[in-house]
Amino acid sequence: MAKRTGSTEKHSRGVRPHRHEPGRCLNILRTLSAYIDDELSQDICRQIRKHIGACPHCEEFVASLRQTVSLCRHRPAPILSSADRLRMREEILCSARMR
Amino acid sequence: MRAPASTKPDKRSSSLARTAGNFDRLYRDHVDLIYRFANRLCGETEAAKDLVQETFLNAYRGFDKFRGEAQVSTWLYAIASRACMRMRRKRKGAPERELSLDEFVPTSEGEFRLQIPVEGLSPEEALENKELRQALDLAINKLPGKYKMVLVLRDMEGVSAKEVGTIMGLNERAVKSRLHRARLFVRRELSAKGLTHNGDSLG
Repeated sequence: MAKRTGSTEKHSRGVRPHRHEPGRCLNILRTLSAYIDDELSQDICRQIRKHIGACPHCEEFVASLRQTVSLCRHRPAPILSSADRLRMREEILCSARMR
Repeated sequence: MRAPASTKPDKRSSSLARTAGNFDRLYRDHVDLIYRFANRLCGETEAAKDLVQETFLNAYRGFDKFRGEAQVSTWLYAIASRACMRMRRKRKGAPERELSLDEFVPTSEGEFRLQIPVEGLSPEEALENKELRQALDLAINKLPGKYKMVLVLRDMEGVSAKEVGTIMGLNERAVKSRLHRARLFVRRELSAKGLTHNGDSLG
């Protein structure tokens, strides 16, 4: 996460004046998943980067969305025990033959 | 392995034996994948095991219908998704809530960032915090089912948007729209948390 936000942190503490345009921010918000998934054209990406560079709120928002997705991607899941794996296989085969 | 109900070497038992052999391979190669998926969808172990059993039972019966056009994992994900939706419908009758983009526009200063300890940490390090893991799980479990399904498949299982569309019977555009709303929902939940660095036990 540090890697993702490192380049933006120095700007995001309200150092720059915030030229907040609610309509523009809402349009940006609509595209952010496509933006962080690299699905947009270079031209649109450039426009978004320009907006984010001038809007600390949107910059923080993008960083927080990236962090959210990154946490989801790395959330470990429990593993099935060998005993459960065997028991469930038996039960499935048993049910399959009964019905 | 238990003997089939009929022990005569008739057409049915040889077909059962063939199916059982295929089933063993299918089960051995994919049970961990489907259990992980089921756990993420159900949010708890016992329901996840029920879902795994239901999925492989349906797969066993549906071997003949599998034409090999999709990957086996896609076919199993689709069976598990339908079984999960059926199980959910049985539990509660209320229609699922639609998420609108407008509800995710932050209204106060603190809502733009995550109020959880992630700065300067890798995602793996951040997730060592038990409170954070619980907050993330809670946020995902609060998602309406159809949004949760897309988020789990795309962002947790790493399935492509096109494949998620095949699994859920949606076009890619609908998948991406649901995914975006689901991510915004989880982000908002995590921005309202205010966790500290204290909950750092693994479990």
